[in-house]
Amino acid sequence: MRGAPTSSQELAERHRHEILRYLLRLLGDPEEAQDACQQTFLHAHRALGRLRPDSNVRAWLFRIATNTARSMARGRARRSGRLVEAELDGFPSRCAPSLEDREQLRAVARAVEALPSRQRAALMLRQFEGFGYREIASCLGGNEAAARANVYQALKKLRAVLEDSP
Amino acid sequence: MTRFDDARHDDALIAMLIDGARPAREVARWLRTDAGRRRLAGYRLALGGLRQLYGDVRPRPLVYWCSLPSPIGRVLVAASDTGLVRVGFRRSEASFVDELRRTLGAEPVRSPARTAEIVHQLRAYFAGERLAFDLKIDFRHVSPFLRRVLSAAASVPPGQVVSYGEIARRIGQPTGSRAVGQALGRNPMPIVLPCHRVIAAGGKIGGYGGGLRMKRALLRIEGARLAAG
Repeated sequence: MRGAPTSSQELAERHRHEILRYLLRLLGDPEEAQDACQQTFLHAHRALGRLRPDSNVRAWLFRIATNTARSMARGRARRSGRLVEAELDGFPSRCAPSLEDREQLRAVARAVEALPSRQRAALMLRQFEGFGYREIASCLGGNEAAARANVYQALKKLRAVLEDSP
Repeated sequence: MTRFDDARHDDALIAMLIDGARPAREVARWLRTDAGRRRLAGYRLALGGLRQLYGDVRPRPLVYWCSLPSPIGRVLVAASDTGLVRVGFRRSEASFVDELRRTLGAEPVRSPARTAEIVHQLRAYFAGERLAFDLKIDFRHVSPFLRRVLSAAASVPPGQVVSYGEIARRIGQPTGSRAVGQALGRNPMPIVLPCHRVIAAGGKIGGYGGGLRMKRALLRIEGARLAAG
């Protein structure tokens, strides 16, 4: 663990990349993710003075990012994520799956888009950020059991759409 | 077996897959049945799809920029993680940043820390304390032809000048002096890559993207002598 950041600029340089990647996973839209990232670090900049020196800075930043993304997702009409489409377009070159796989992948993408923002955040934090349930709870509010339930619910939905897809 | 029955061990399967939990004996036994295997395969597929879709998201790279005052006005510099990518002057910070975003496909971040060495060497240059730069350059966004032209220009020592035709000869295209002149006009890192040391035939000043006054000022800093014109 590196030492506490001395300035919000240092904070941004150290964590911007991973926060942006996380926001891309939450929002699915590169431009929205950029906006959310800027807002996250603006908020962090304002709140840095109140951060206790022994705090887990990374978890604190992810909490701000999660709240920013969730309020953004609430504010917009639901629409399909451009990221998902782009990834699918680039997909055949990587490992040329059968058409059937492509359809299944689309089904998963749609299911992720349809997840409640809390479940989506919990799933991404667990799967890609290495967060434990206590850290997820500190990002999302609620207790560890609720955090775990959010992750499990999300995964059950993803599996279910695969069963229903051709 | 009904779907309801298939779902009874879901929590155990998920715990096994994403929390590394060991399945209870009853679950392990069920996993050896067709229904158990199918269910586990379904979760594996879902997690695999999630990884394919969201595991490899790549945000735009960052480009760090900063501005510094100088005798020729405000100078703007930008660097990637690899090295210097842009030097600009006679323009606003906003237009510089906007161009970085558009032409490099990167996200600009103001960072005096990441550009400190570049700024340090430029300050020393403008103070007359240093005439040559020793900086890492990121050439990834520079065409091969322009790169050859800029490398040839960079081999001209401070205080000296050469003609467009001479650069054309040095890169093995003796009839290409016009192309060389045009290429130098697109130098993304002026001052550091010294396109100002390349002048027209007969010792005339030639052209310069930053204006001829700027070109003369830079050559004066370096102590070069020019014919009038």
